[in-house]
Amino acid sequence: MSSSPAIEPDAPDLVCQLDNVQGMVDALACVRWKRHQDALVELSEHGIVLIVEESGCLQAKVYLQRELFTKYEYGAEGRPRFGISLGLLVDCLNTFSSPGHSNTIEIKYPGPDMELLLKSVDTLNSCIYSEIRTRLPETSAWDYNFEQAGSAPLTFTVKSSALKEAIDDLEWPGSSVQISLQKSPPCVTFRGEGHGDLQIDLMYYANTDLLLAFHCDTEVSYRYKYKFLKATTANIPGNVVRENRGSKLTIGRGGMLKVQHLVSVAKALAPQVESAGYQPPSRIAYIEFFVKPEEPDD
Amino acid sequence: MEFSISGNALKTFARSIICLARVGNELVVQASQTQLGLHTLNASRSAYQSITFQSSFFDAYTVSGPQAHFSVLLKAVCSVLRTPVASIDHMSVQLPDHDASKVKWALECYSGMKKTYWITCNVEPDIQHLSLDRGRFPSSMVVHPRNLSKLLGNFQSSLQEITIIATDQTSFPSDAASEIGGKAVEFRSYVDPTKDGDSLLHTQLWIDPSEEFLQYTHAGDPIDITFSLKELKAFLSFCEGCEADIHLFFEKAGEPILMAPKFGLGDGSSSSFDATLVLATMLVSQLQEGVMPEPPVAANSTDGHAAEQVGSEPQERSRQSASEHPSDHTRVWSELSGTATKSVNGSEERPQAQGQPDVNIQRIRDMEISKGGPAGDNAPGPSNSQRPTQMDHAEGSRVRVENNQSFSQRHPSNWVDASEDEDEDDGVDATPPHNEDY
Repeated sequence: MSSSPAIEPDAPDLVCQLDNVQGMVDALACVRWKRHQDALVELSEHGIVLIVEESGCLQAKVYLQRELFTKYEYGAEGRPRFGISLGLLVDCLNTFSSPGHSNTIEIKYPGPDMELLLKSVDTLNSCIYSEIRTRLPETSAWDYNFEQAGSAPLTFTVKSSALKEAIDDLEWPGSSVQISLQKSPPCVTFRGEGHGDLQIDLMYYANTDLLLAFHCDTEVSYRYKYKFLKATTANIPGNVVRENRGSKLTIGRGGMLKVQHLVSVAKALAPQVESAGYQPPSRIAYIEFFVKPEEPDD
Repeated sequence: MEFSISGNALKTFARSIICLARVGNELVVQASQTQLGLHTLNASRSAYQSITFQSSFFDAYTVSGPQAHFSVLLKAVCSVLRTPVASIDHMSVQLPDHDASKVKWALECYSGMKKTYWITCNVEPDIQHLSLDRGRFPSSMVVHPRNLSKLLGNFQSSLQEITIIATDQTSFPSDAASEIGGKAVEFRSYVDPTKDGDSLLHTQLWIDPSEEFLQYTHAGDPIDITFSLKELKAFLSFCEGCEADIHLFFEKAGEPILMAPKFGLGDGSSSSFDATLVLATMLVSQLQEGVMPEPPVAANSTDGHAAEQVGSEPQERSRQSASEHPSDHTRVWSELSGTATKSVNGSEERPQAQGQPDVNIQRIRDMEISKGGPAGDNAPGPSNSQRPTQMDHAEGSRVRVENNQSFSQRHPSNWVDASEDEDEDDGVDATPPHNEDY
C-alpha cells in the first residue's frame, strides 16, 4: 500500500480508500460544535489530520492514521495542507453512508482545481461522486504546545458517557467550570457556580467502572469556559458510549486541558465481537481537544 | 432540615416535582416535625397544587425546631432531577439553618458520581396556603386516569379550557325516551369568544358515568364548571404514575374544583403522601338557569366551511340517542347537526351563554388564598373564604346574552337541511342520532 518510489509529476497527492464511511463521519462529527467551522487538513504519509479551532482558546484534532484505510497511496512531496469547511465535508461524507451498510469511499486530492474528490466505489452500477472546494490555509494551526505540568503527568481517564453526562449537567450553573484534581482521596471534581452551584465528584475508589485511571501527585485546580468544555463532549458518537470507552483528560503546564477520545472507524462487526479492547488499535481514530484555561481572577 | 430519599419514594418525589413544575414556577417547601409539604401557585393565581409527605415517606427526616420553610424555583429543582431517577441511588436535601441562603441537594449515583447542587432560596417567598375541606363539595367523580385521558383525547390537543356539565343521573323529564341510564355528564370544549376565532373545532362528549367513571355523585340541578386543561393533564400523569385514580370534587361554576389521587385499598403508599390540585373555574356558567346547556357558538369565522364540525362521541350505547338526555339542549343540538327539519333561526329568546365579545368578562377569578397558616389547616372559616371572589366585576357574573348577538355567525350554509347537498352527515358520523330509529 505504499506509494511507488518513482512519483509521477501529475500523480495526486493522495488516493485512499476507506471501507467504513460512517466511522469517518463519526470521528469528524465529534469535533463539530458550531454550524460553520473552517478546518485545516494536513496530509502526510502517516495519515490525515484535521484541525479545527475557535477563538484561540479551543482546538480540536482528528487523527486518521493510514492504517485505517484499506488503500493509502501517498504521492506528495512534503505535507500538503488545505482549508475546507468542516460542516460541508461531514454532510457530504454522510451522503455516501447508508445506515446498516459499510460503504467504501475513495478520497483523492487534489482535483484539477485543488478540490477534494470523493467517490463511492462499492457499487457496480451506480456511483456517487463529489467535489469539495478547498482553500489555501491562511495561517498555520496554532501549536498549542502541550507540555507536561510537572514531573509527573496529571491525568485521569473517565468513562466517556459519564464525562458527557457530567458536562451536560454543568450547563445549569453558569459559564465557567472549575476542574480540580485531588491526591488523597484520589478524586476529580467539576464545579460550576452561577445562579446556582453544582459540584460533581468522581472518586477513584467509588466505583471501578468510573475512573479508569488516575495520576496526580499535586493538587491542581483550573477554570475553563463552559462552552469550550461542552464542545469537547457534545458530539461524541453513539458507538463510543456503546463500546464503553474511556476519555482521557490531562492537565498540562499552565492549566492547558487535553481531552482525548477514541472513536472506532472499523466496519460494524457482529455485536458480540464489538467491545472495548477487541478492536485492533489501527481501526481507531484519535480525537484530541485542547482547552485553554481561564485567566485566574483574584 | 434534612431528608433523604431513595427507590420508589424518590420516583414519587420526582414525579411530584414534575407535576408541580407544570402548574407553577415557584416551589414552597414547608417542613414540620411530622410532614413535608410542597406547594405551588401559578402566576395567574388560578391553580394551586399541594403535595404532602409524611415523615415515614423518607429514609431519614429531621427538622430542627417546630418547622422550616424555604422557597426555590421549580426549574432549578427540575435541573437537579435531570439525572434519570433510575441511575440515582439516593438523594438528600438539606437546609442548614433557617436563614440559609441555599438549599443543598445531593445525589449519589450508581455510576459512582456524586452530584451536589446548591439552589438559591427565593428571598421573600410568597408562602401561600390554601386548604379546602373536601366535604364542602356536594358533587364528585372518581375516574381511572387512563380512562380520563382517553376521554380527553377526543378533544384537540391545543384546547386550553374544558367545560364539564354534570347532571343528576336519576332525574330525567317524563318525556324522555324509555332508555334510562342516560349520559349524565358532558364534556365540552370551551372556546374563548374574545379570542380570534381560529378555533374552528368544537367538541362535545356525552358520558355515561356508570360506564366511564368509577364513582359519580351529583344531585340536583345541572351544573357546569369550566377550567384549565393543562393542569388537569399534568395531574392525570401524576396520578397515573402513582397508580391511583383521580378524584374530582366540584360544586358549580365559579367555585373551585379540587382534585386528589384516590388510592386503592391496601395500597401502603397511600398513607404516606397526599396531593391536591385546586383550580379556579370560570364564573360564567355555560348553562342558563332552568334551561339546559346551549350548544357552543359556532366559531366566529365567517367562512362557512366546517365551522360546525363537531366531533361528539356518545359512548358505547349509541342507541341511546341524545333525546333521552334530559334536556332541551340536546334536542337543540341535534337540530344543529342538521338531522332535524326544524331550522335554527335567530330566535331572540335563545340566549347565548358565551357572552358578548364586547363585555369584559372576568373569567377565571383569583382565588383568595390565605397567607401563611400552618400546613394541615383544614377548616376554613367563611371569612377565610377560599372561594374565588365573585363580587369583583358585576358584569362578569352570569351573563345573559341579549339579542345583540346576531346570528350572522350562523351562516345559513352551515345548516344542513334536507334541501342542501352537503353530505355533512356522512362525515359527522358521531353526532348523536336522535330521530332515527334503530
